[in-house]
Amino acid sequence: MIIKGFVSRNPWKLQGFFVIFLFLSSLLFSLPSFSQTAETETNFAICKACHTIGGGKLVGPDLKGVTEKYDEAWLVKFIQNSQALIDAGDPAAIKVWEENSKIPMPPNPQLNEEQVKDIILYIKNDGKIAASEIAAGEDETKTPDEVQVEETDAHKLLAEMKQEDARHMKTTFIVMIILIFISLFDLIVTKIVKWRWIHTIIILISLTIGGEVIFVEATSLGRQQYYQPDQPIWFSHKVHSGQNQIECEYCHFTADKSMHAGIPPVQVCLNCHNQVKEGKITGTEEIAKIHDSYNNGKPIEWVKVHNLPDHVYFNHAQHVNIGQLECEECHGMVEEMDQVIQVEDLSMRWCIDCHRITEVQFASNRFYDHYKQLHALIEKGEKSSVKVVDIGGEDCQKCHY
Amino acid sequence: MRYIRLFILILIPLIIMACNRGKNNPGYDYLGSHDMYYTKFYKAYAPNPILKDSMTNQLPVEGTVARGKMPFPYQGSTLPERAVNQSKASKEWMNPVTVSDEVIAAGKWHYQMFCSTCHGVAGKGDGYLYTSKLFLAKPTSLVESYVQGKPDGEIYYVITYGSISGLMGPHGSQILPADRWNIIYYVRELAKK
Repeated sequence: MIIKGFVSRNPWKLQGFFVIFLFLSSLLFSLPSFSQTAETETNFAICKACHTIGGGKLVGPDLKGVTEKYDEAWLVKFIQNSQALIDAGDPAAIKVWEENSKIPMPPNPQLNEEQVKDIILYIKNDGKIAASEIAAGEDETKTPDEVQVEETDAHKLLAEMKQEDARHMKTTFIVMIILIFISLFDLIVTKIVKWRWIHTIIILISLTIGGEVIFVEATSLGRQQYYQPDQPIWFSHKVHSGQNQIECEYCHFTADKSMHAGIPPVQVCLNCHNQVKEGKITGTEEIAKIHDSYNNGKPIEWVKVHNLPDHVYFNHAQHVNIGQLECEECHGMVEEMDQVIQVEDLSMRWCIDCHRITEVQFASNRFYDHYKQLHALIEKGEKSSVKVVDIGGEDCQKCHY
Repeated sequence: MRYIRLFILILIPLIIMACNRGKNNPGYDYLGSHDMYYTKFYKAYAPNPILKDSMTNQLPVEGTVARGKMPFPYQGSTLPERAVNQSKASKEWMNPVTVSDEVIAAGKWHYQMFCSTCHGVAGKGDGYLYTSKLFLAKPTSLVESYVQGKPDGEIYYVITYGSISGLMGPHGSQILPADRWNIIYYVRELAKK
């Protein structure tokens, strides 16, 4: 049963396994006895920045055939510390150094002799054994992420329901209008239902719900709560901020210096993505768009999610740097969002409500030394804490000018 | 018959006015661009029909020196050039910041924001991106003699333009010059622990 199910669901997996097995066993017979581990692939990643195996010259020379050209003991010494060999006057080392514009190869003291020999073997095989092992290892690590995805809590569900409701206002409204007209029609023209109180109740309920919809829609005019636009690249904050634990300000690095939190330039993406070229969810397709944008100098046209009207002034630096607010206090749990959604309505009431209850870091900030009256009040004991309201958080011209 | 006509006459405008919003629809606004809601200036990051490359955010003209900023004259476009410039910077480029508790604290904040994901909180090259196998190359340990033996100017160069190997990208756009010096002081402090 189990085998049958396995085969019918994914026949390629089993075939692939056989291919890898045959490949592995054939290689094992032709190689020296000590085993090669997935670690080699990891160690070789350092080399990969400057070298290829059969892919041409990068910073350093192509490594294909290097194992036949030099003997193993010399290669081990060179990989561990090339500069020491050059300083010692080794003619082969100096020749290599001069051939490559005198760019020194950084020493690798963290690798012991066994590990370096592993790498040499890896180069000899064009980097193939370890590659298959690492692929198998990655499949195993996937499971805890999948478990995490399945976890949902009531709070999240409630928020989702609210968001769904907000998106179906029109349908609710039309249903209510139709109900009102049907009951009116029956009341005046057809008279099928004889008890008139039924008509009255239906009309009253429909009017209430319809009125509520009109009220909610009217107040949300000009606001964009639950706006969740599709972006040009399938970029997930859940992967980058949640799973990879990269700080928000690594990419949005002007949040504490400028009015705008900032959209990172493509260069910042490349800090990691010049190495990481394949994602677990989208493969190479989405990451290729970054490289495309970088190579052609064409900016990526992200869609702005959180929009404020132009008659409001909002400054990120003030809130992040001086107010010491966390990003998620206004933007919600972005680290759990694949696609960013605006969770707060960004209404004026929402701003003012927060200004009324938030305490100012009054003692530690030298700027507030000028508020002498407030300091006097605190010293007298008439005021225990200073809220944003006390320093003008409710004044019109603070945000509207 | 009269009732049905009335029914349709009222219903149709209501259907048009009511809003079923998809997630891509930002909604409606009162008066919109006729009010002060959306004014006509070009926003940062928005496209701009006037300028040649149709971007509002423009790069400064080459050779511009911002007020209060010190130009860093060691940029190189090719790798050998960069290798030469890096060794030049290590000898010539001196640290203008004097160390204090505030400098260390600022350095710590910036280190944890920009460096610790790869180099680890303690600087041992064991950041989360490496230990979770998301980034395959092992980041350099910052507390061992290889980095600690380098002069401040060279570390500054690597933070600004990235490492020669290309494994570490340039962080010059993200970290202000003063903060780079602060980070260097903090890394020196880490090595003492």
